[in-house]
Amino acid sequence: MDPSSPVLPASILEQTALQLGCRPTDKKLALHLDEKDELKHLRECFYVPKVKDLPPRAKRQEIALMNGLTVNLHLLMLSFFKPTPRRYKILLEARAFPSDHYAMESQLRLHGLDVERSMVLLQPRQGEETLRTEDILSVIEKEGDSIAVILFSGVQYYTGQLFDIPRITRAGQKKGCLVGFDLAHAVGNVELHLHDWGVDFACWCSYKYLNSGAGGLAGAYIHEKHSKSIKPALIGWWGHEFKTRFLMENKLQLSEGINGFRLSNPPILLVCALHASLEVFSQTTMKALRRKSVLLTGYLEYLIKHYYSEDKTNPEKPFVRILTPSQIEERGCQLTLSFSLPIKSVFNELEKRGVACDMREPNALRIAPVPLYNSFLDVHRFIEILGSAITSSKQTANNTVLSGSY
Amino acid sequence: MINPFPFRIQRKVGIHCVPVSTVLGRKTVELNDLKMDPSSPVLPASILEQTALQLGCRPTDKKLALHLDEKDELKHLRECFYVPKVKDLPPTDLTLVNGEESCVYFIGNSLGLQPRKVRTYLDEELDKWARTGVHGHFNGKRPWALADECLLDMMAELVGAKRQEIALMNGLTVNLHLLMLSFFKPTPRRYKILLEARAFPSDHYAMESQLRLHGLDVERSMVLLQPRQGEETLRTEDILSVIEKEGDSIAVILFSGVQYYTGQLFDIPRITRAGQKKGCLVGFDLAHAVGNVELHLHDWGVDFACWCSYKYLNSGAGGLAGAYIHEKHSKSIKPALIGWWGHEFKTRFLMENKLQLSEGINGFRLSNPPILLVCALHASLEVFSQTTMKALRRKSVLLTGYLEYLIKHYYSEDKTNPEKPFVRILTPSQIEERGCQLTLSFSLPIKSVFNELEKRGVACDMREPNALRIAPVPLYNSFLDVHRFIEILGSAITSSKQTANNTVLSGSY
Repeated sequence: MDPSSPVLPASILEQTALQLGCRPTDKKLALHLDEKDELKHLRECFYVPKVKDLPPRAKRQEIALMNGLTVNLHLLMLSFFKPTPRRYKILLEARAFPSDHYAMESQLRLHGLDVERSMVLLQPRQGEETLRTEDILSVIEKEGDSIAVILFSGVQYYTGQLFDIPRITRAGQKKGCLVGFDLAHAVGNVELHLHDWGVDFACWCSYKYLNSGAGGLAGAYIHEKHSKSIKPALIGWWGHEFKTRFLMENKLQLSEGINGFRLSNPPILLVCALHASLEVFSQTTMKALRRKSVLLTGYLEYLIKHYYSEDKTNPEKPFVRILTPSQIEERGCQLTLSFSLPIKSVFNELEKRGVACDMREPNALRIAPVPLYNSFLDVHRFIEILGSAITSSKQTANNTVLSGSY
Repeated sequence: MINPFPFRIQRKVGIHCVPVSTVLGRKTVELNDLKMDPSSPVLPASILEQTALQLGCRPTDKKLALHLDEKDELKHLRECFYVPKVKDLPPTDLTLVNGEESCVYFIGNSLGLQPRKVRTYLDEELDKWARTGVHGHFNGKRPWALADECLLDMMAELVGAKRQEIALMNGLTVNLHLLMLSFFKPTPRRYKILLEARAFPSDHYAMESQLRLHGLDVERSMVLLQPRQGEETLRTEDILSVIEKEGDSIAVILFSGVQYYTGQLFDIPRITRAGQKKGCLVGFDLAHAVGNVELHLHDWGVDFACWCSYKYLNSGAGGLAGAYIHEKHSKSIKPALIGWWGHEFKTRFLMENKLQLSEGINGFRLSNPPILLVCALHASLEVFSQTTMKALRRKSVLLTGYLEYLIKHYYSEDKTNPEKPFVRILTPSQIEERGCQLTLSFSLPIKSVFNELEKRGVACDMREPNALRIAPVPLYNSFLDVHRFIEILGSAITSSKQTANNTVLSGSY
């Protein structure tokens, strides 16, 4: 699945099934796709519980590995967010990850700014779940002169929407804004070209798609165009040039760029875990991973639509609305599924049957088939188990009703 | 109120504190009274001499060291650590020394040794991650979502704080900045920061940047306390005097607990009281104090503090750091920078973007805790919990006193023999004014002596041009370590002089 190819996953799935002489929903297709998967060997690099491009494409001197995501976000904002009476707003998506939301609120308050007036939260249109790029660009055009920083996620944690990072960056910078991204759900998931896109700053955690363990070492990026002009607000000894750092003369020789933003010495145990993970990535490329991911997630989408499309003639039939954009270039691995029935007991039944996924009450599941270690068979099994889970869940509900009536 | 300092006497207003030994004189020691009770007026030197007497040997004999180790109630704790073998240290020269011996590791003040349990605990969490994936957040021995909190009681014990007054997170300097962003609120009248001259670079740079963040001039606003001319350490009376004089314009006093270079232990309670009396907020960088000396942050009323855990807390390079805020501030001091981990646990994962900030230091947490770092720190804190800081300090006072005794015996200045190398100990001689570490200033250039020491399996720290920092740590160092060090130091100095002479001779051809 070449992301730039005009061929949709659904077409590939149907045509391959045709050639195999089976239906697209058959397990046979899943097994065949896994057979042909050039990256299947990478699954062996991971512990899968029973039931070179190094991301994210920046120059070495533009990135630093340190702290946690939110710490890094704050360190960056303290240097990039310099409000003036005219240009003082922060633009971010509504329903941003709580840490980003709280971080931006506190950054505004730190400058004595009123959160209501200064924090521009971009809501989707009425009845829609995701943001239209044209709407984002339109707000930037309209209010950009008063926006100091645009801080978006790369991939939205809830909806799975992949934002158009280069276009948002260009539009924002054209209005004189500084543009940064929280790449927590983007790094290791989608292809990133921070340097070429001219993104001003970014940060990410490493325990999601970068597989480095809970609380793993986070990352930060500053474009080299800022290396001489943007200085860290908060300084520590690790920002001092290595050559003279240990002389302890208390005469600061600040490293350029993001390196000067480092405060403390690095935690070696976290480096080990991240090292192991990045080595797996270096056995392939983000391009190849994305190719598999597009087909894998397309396969999930195909089966969901096949079994759980709304049937107005059969109101009893459970259906799923996929909140994540259908365009491949507007999403990563994850699909957010909104169910027509309460999801909690379905989720419990899924968990009982060895499925690990995320539930967002009252109705949604977030399902993220990851190209590094998930297979087409995983997706096929998930759909089968989902069926059982829904059935069991209804039976339990019925039993409860029945027993309740005595 | 617990009095942690061994020689303090009841203070009356206006009377300087004097060493008790000059007031009460020496006391005869029983052979089994080898514990240095910090409140005892007996000096280490007395104990060493009297014990040697009873053993029928000289205080400089190895026999004394062996005996002291025999009687050491904490000697079993060494087994809790990996002590490197001489042959595994990169600078070792095996022609000079037996590679199978344990090295003499006197650099725990820079990087503590690895507790043996670290690997076990790492395996536990790596195993849980492998076997259960995301479920590790809320299951198992250390649910990752609560990982930092499972160590709080042990940590609180070591710093003398209540559980809700401390948090384990980030690195030291990150924590220092997070605290300063809330505690350093300069006004036109009260805008200065007081710290020691020659503070650890990170503290120095941090304070400079905090001042600049507020648009303040570093020259005018950063008060660096220098020692008196010809002295290396700060006199408490001078610290108090500056606080008295300039306190009205000082917003924050930020001192180290133990000075990294000189090894001086500052009088934390007195500095705190004096500063607060003048309306200052008082905080401490306890990097070299935690796990080294007894701390009672809560009782002393210290406003805030931070520390790293890879020195005396042995949690590995870049280990999880700590932060403390006194509970008196829990409702009034709020974090300037907020992240999701400062949200109350109960509702944190609802993701409603309506902040319910945790009280006190817990609200200062930004990111979820790194489980691998928690494992390493857990292993270390468990060793500490097999004893008490009081007991460790007792051993430490005698251990460092033993080092001091031998240094003074062999390396005192002899004006009648100018060729003889001598050592000036920069660290205060008063026990209550120092921790484990002694900083030794040599009368000869130290670099080649240091190289010779390293070739012979000694791990310590060199500060050019003349100084060594030697830190015998009570958890895993022995009296024999100290005795061996002195022997090896002698060989190192001799070798160093020979090399220098040879160079001179060969240079003249």
